Amino acid sequence: MTDRIARQWREAPSPLVVFGKRGNLDLLLAIDVAAERLGLAAGLALAQARAMHPTLAAVPEDQDADARLLDAIANACHRYTPLVAVDPPDGILLDIGGCAHLFGGEEKLRDDLLARMMRLGLSARAAVAATIGAASAAARFGDVATTADASRDARERLAPLPLAALRLSDETVAALARLGLKRIGDILDLPRAPLAARFGADLLRQMDRALGREDEPLTPRLPIPHYLAEKSFHEPITREEDVLACVERLAARLKTALTARGDGARRLELALFRTDGAVKRIAVGTSRPLRDPQAVRALFVERLAALGDEIDPGFGFDLARLSVLNAETCADEQIGLGTREDQAGLDRLIDRLSARLGRRRVSRLVARDSHIPELAAASVPAQAMTPAEFGWDTFRRFRAEAGLSQRPLRLLAKPEPIAEVFALVPDGPPARFRWRRALHEVVRAEGPERIEGAWWSEEGGPARDYFHVEDTAGLRFWLFRAGLYRDTALSPPRWFMHGLYA
Amino acid sequence: MAAAPLSSSSAEPTAARIEQLRRQLGALEAPGGHPGECSALLALGNPAIDGALGGGLGLSALHEIAAAREAEVAAASGFALALAARMMSWRGASAAIANSWQAREDARAVSLPASTRNVIWIAEEFSLVENGALYGPALDGIGIASERLITVTAARMRDVLWAMEESLRCRAVGMVIGEMRPRGIDQVATRRLALAAAGGNALGLILYTAPDDAPSAAVTRWIIGAASPLNAERGHGIGPPRLLARLARNRRGPLGTWIVEWNSVEQRFELATHSEPVAGAAFDRPHRTAVA
Repeated sequence: MTDRIARQWREAPSPLVVFGKRGNLDLLLAIDVAAERLGLAAGLALAQARAMHPTLAAVPEDQDADARLLDAIANACHRYTPLVAVDPPDGILLDIGGCAHLFGGEEKLRDDLLARMMRLGLSARAAVAATIGAASAAARFGDVATTADASRDARERLAPLPLAALRLSDETVAALARLGLKRIGDILDLPRAPLAARFGADLLRQMDRALGREDEPLTPRLPIPHYLAEKSFHEPITREEDVLACVERLAARLKTALTARGDGARRLELALFRTDGAVKRIAVGTSRPLRDPQAVRALFVERLAALGDEIDPGFGFDLARLSVLNAETCADEQIGLGTREDQAGLDRLIDRLSARLGRRRVSRLVARDSHIPELAAASVPAQAMTPAEFGWDTFRRFRAEAGLSQRPLRLLAKPEPIAEVFALVPDGPPARFRWRRALHEVVRAEGPERIEGAWWSEEGGPARDYFHVEDTAGLRFWLFRAGLYRDTALSPPRWFMHGLYA
Repeated sequence: MAAAPLSSSSAEPTAARIEQLRRQLGALEAPGGHPGECSALLALGNPAIDGALGGGLGLSALHEIAAAREAEVAAASGFALALAARMMSWRGASAAIANSWQAREDARAVSLPASTRNVIWIAEEFSLVENGALYGPALDGIGIASERLITVTAARMRDVLWAMEESLRCRAVGMVIGEMRPRGIDQVATRRLALAAAGGNALGLILYTAPDDAPSAAVTRWIIGAASPLNAERGHGIGPPRLLARLARNRRGPLGTWIVEWNSVEQRFELATHSEPVAGAAFDRPHRTAVA
């Protein structure tokens, strides 16, 4: 059985309304309790409301901010279950199947959730029901006290609710209302075929989903971790050492689970739930499946050091959750074989460097199957690689067979234009050129090596003639002429500096 | 010390015993930046240079390479990578050259398993933009096994130093090269790196993008530039990398200036003395007689 909670929220400071344009009209979209007491209601025209109450405070809607708030609340709801989905514009769905007992039952969980929302200054409504449809209907339209009673039959609970609770389009609801069908109970026992023929399949589908006749999947907003361990604190923790100690304890618990399944963690995430609802998520990757709690802790030490003040504990974290996002089969290790230990040591170093500096900054060079110089090699995060994928063996064979000329030791990120190029013959190497404001007099040159762009794509641009030149001081450069002199009609050839030799 | 048996202390002190104590002392002093005699050496493969170095560059120690000027960073990185290539194909005692220091090298031949000969290149992002990043297809030509090279980029100098320190402590790393600008590093930082190097088994190499004469804890300092071609060579093909290497500081022996060419087939430096008469260094070179 799957239970859901659907929640609704509204903004609530002083007598205040939020308005937005619907069609040609500025309508009230949300009102607070004080405004409700004045006799206003959502859906009223702003002009009319202002005529009734000239002192009314009205703010325009901000859908982005609403969405962000909703997302933040959904984030905070992860403390109850990993299965959280956002139900825009104003709802959040939690799948609490199997975890309600951790909070003392469904009712207790709902009360805790509502109390938390209240503390954050949000007015929310929540309902627990067996289907997404029923929970959403009960939370938005039901009298929570009665309709949320999970023990009663779904039909019985839904029957008194207005048809709009079935998540139907406004036109459908209006058309049904014209026929005198206003409550869900009115259509529950009507023949299905004529209903479908007249109002479309959507009506029946939403009804079936609410009643649990058709399954409706919940799309979680975050991937569901393979393993997780969590710890809540009565007294919120703020110090880094406490967080790290907690990480180690959680990792020790994960280790048991991982060992039982023969897995190791490749990517771990630590979620720290702040008392005020904010959630900090810190992820670390590893280059080999990992179980050792000490090593996990060491990675988070680097990560926290790198984040520094970004981890703002505020009034403290009251829940910490360590989850394994990616797991891989991890062979049990032997101890004492030198080579393996060295490899493990190197992997640990790569992990620590990656955790501190960022995964992309610790890389290995990989040969790519391309003849265009800047595409022939790439940097790939070292954590992601196994030595078999580097491709240098293939490159070496190719180099030997093709008799590839020596390449420059350092390749500039982008070819830099060089000026005042003077070549003795149009297709020959330059005799002198200016690069980065210095004039270089060429004394020796090798080339050209012509590298054509790929004809099937724009990649690489026009044909290039590469030259390996040496200037009077002994500096050696790899430069090229983009475009050929025979094509000067199109555009004159331009010269670029691409690399530096030792 | 506690391991020394009581009986030996009462016995007559022999030369061997004194030698042993000396070595123990040397080992104790080693973390202070003076690598003891027991440390392994990375030979450059050239008798003249290795002679000046007392056999080669000490592992578990910090060394510095500075580009003669900013335009010559490529030459300096070529020198550093050539050393890395020698590290990757560690030959220890099996080098072809035979002379007096080589014999000593043989005596304490250190075997270095392949798994500990990884090379880590750490550079500041700024420098990569300025001077270009290492280009894989060229490394192969120098003799670097790209599979055993890990490149690290850092946004700040602090992170470069941190990454160097961490890498130097790792037993699986044979050489750590940190490319940086000379201004951002002080003696405390080099001292930290020297200590980290002494604790591990890796050779630490700071690669400055410009020369620097600040005091440092490094054992040697090299100033590397490109060697200018001779008039006679104009118009000819371009040969192997030719560098003007100046040993500007050496705690273990004399200084010197050499013009070297990197022989990528035999993976060793060769003196390009035929092209530059001033290459001869001002110190005794006993290997000359040994070879003759």
